[in-house]
Amino acid sequence: MAANGEDVTTVLMIGNPNVGKSALFNRMTGANAVVSNYPGTTVDFTKGTLIEGNRTYVIIDVPGTYSLEPRDAAEEVAVRMLRHRPDATVMIVLDATRIERGLYLALEVMELGMPCILAVNMIDAAHEKQITVDTAELQRLLGVPVIPTTAISGEGVRSLAEMLRKARVADVMDISGRLKGDPPAAGGRACFGCGGCGGR
Amino acid sequence: MTLRQPEAGPVSAAADAGGANAMFLSSDARWEMVDALAARTVSPGSYEPSLADVVGELTVRPLTGIPVALAALYAFWSIFTSFAGTLMTDGFMVKIFDGYWLPWLQSVWPDPASWHYFIFVGNPLADNSLEAFGVLTSGFFVSIGVVLPAVLIFYLTMTILEDSGYLPRLAVLMDTFLHKIGLHGYAIVPAILGLGCNVPAVTATRILETKKQRFIMMTLLALFIPCGAQLGIMMAVIPESVGIVFLCLLIGFGLFGFILSRLIPGENPEILVDVPAYHWPVKEYVAQKLWNRTKAFLREAIPFVLFGILLVNLLYLGGVIPALADLLEPVFVVWFGVPKETAGPLIAAFLRKDLAIAQLSNIPMTPYQLVASVVLVTIYFPCVATFVVMLREGWRELLASIAVLLTVVFIYGGMIHGIGILLGVA
Repeated sequence: MAANGEDVTTVLMIGNPNVGKSALFNRMTGANAVVSNYPGTTVDFTKGTLIEGNRTYVIIDVPGTYSLEPRDAAEEVAVRMLRHRPDATVMIVLDATRIERGLYLALEVMELGMPCILAVNMIDAAHEKQITVDTAELQRLLGVPVIPTTAISGEGVRSLAEMLRKARVADVMDISGRLKGDPPAAGGRACFGCGGCGGR
Repeated sequence: MTLRQPEAGPVSAAADAGGANAMFLSSDARWEMVDALAARTVSPGSYEPSLADVVGELTVRPLTGIPVALAALYAFWSIFTSFAGTLMTDGFMVKIFDGYWLPWLQSVWPDPASWHYFIFVGNPLADNSLEAFGVLTSGFFVSIGVVLPAVLIFYLTMTILEDSGYLPRLAVLMDTFLHKIGLHGYAIVPAILGLGCNVPAVTATRILETKKQRFIMMTLLALFIPCGAQLGIMMAVIPESVGIVFLCLLIGFGLFGFILSRLIPGENPEILVDVPAYHWPVKEYVAQKLWNRTKAFLREAIPFVLFGILLVNLLYLGGVIPALADLLEPVFVVWFGVPKETAGPLIAAFLRKDLAIAQLSNIPMTPYQLVASVVLVTIYFPCVATFVVMLREGWRELLASIAVLLTVVFIYGGMIHGIGILLGVA
């Protein structure tokens, strides 16, 4: 079900299992997706609506997956959702205490060329373990909005909702370039997502 | 590592979306980028094991984990029986239903000899709401008086298991055993969900990797895992036999799982379980889940129980059940060693298993017959709701599952009878 009105955007929530997608989804839409503390709670998708500003987002909570090469039927649901909604925005949810594996999936999703936004969730758990994530730097490097969140307490959910409209298509080549320290390619596109423009 | 071929859909969409060039990295290149990204943005803290980590470790190691699992199971069961059985049902519901509701209905409903009295109030001589077996008497007593408190407390304890993070640890602990029956540790998740209700459990089999695993799990669920409603009613009507019924189901689970894992082609790969940290269940989530599940029960189960009694009573009046009982008499009496009247509850069992067991308790039987017939009712067929979700997961699997089911019922029913004869109780 792609956007039928101009102001309706479909948002797919993609992320590793047990990173808090459903909790975040419930926070954003007021829906009642089942939340548990074990990977594989969500095996089917749930839809909810978020109205932010004057835009309507249809948010879809998708089963967690470790990669886009599905291992089981629940992961197949996730990959199928991505394939069938190429015009959707993807909200990639990461576990702040296990950033690396989340980034792997994030890169895979970014390569599909869909507009992305990252939620670095469980930031509270990361604080407890004294792990710090420089989300501003991550945002600059990836060129898509990166928002720290704690779904359980609702921290960061508001700005995540507000930033949804700034979701951008990430260019993997550019990311690679920024990692090597190359200055952003001059000319071409005026804006590299949120990378470095300090918000509008 | 392979270079992934760009698929047509997303790439063309990407071109539409913003003209960005979609490019696909190899897995190695991706990990390199991840490392570079993480090196620039993540700084790990000093690690010191917290209490949760220590407890986590203790519940995964077999030496300490198995006693913890048994203790958890025992605590679970004690809370379940004392709250649902003793406190709510016996202490409260029975008094209301048998003391007020049943006598009141019996006194105000006209004409005890009529068909409508039989259907709605049931047996005019009954002095308790279970034996009356009318839609308004047993129907409400079974669903609200017995099963509602049982599922409520069951779901509460199950939610705490789910939310604390214990389930994945149980999965690690059970892995060795479950590998012997063609599954792996994570199959414990659908199995435990199934003890609440088989419907979400069937969907939860999606977390298993291969078709073989899913088929075995689904079939074993339908066969040997009683749902919360069924547990609740078993505790209320046959408290002294629940243990032995459980043993029969557990042995069946292991035995037929073992056989199925050898007969069914396919793989049973090892798994890497992601074990999350323990944390205190969040009050709001627990309350939310409890409410959702209870609401689903009220909305779906109660109408089914009421309709089930209506249907069974109509079939009795129409002579269908007595005729069926006579027809099936040889199988029931000779092969399974249970009274032919068990045919009635088998029909009810297709709608609701809790109803079937309530009905069984009204048939005069020896203790052996009661155990055997309760086991039969449990395993013989999934209830209609489970049947529907199994169908949604694939009709071929459902048909194969049913074929296995019927075979198992026949063999296992006969086996239990045989053991009963050997022990001199049948």
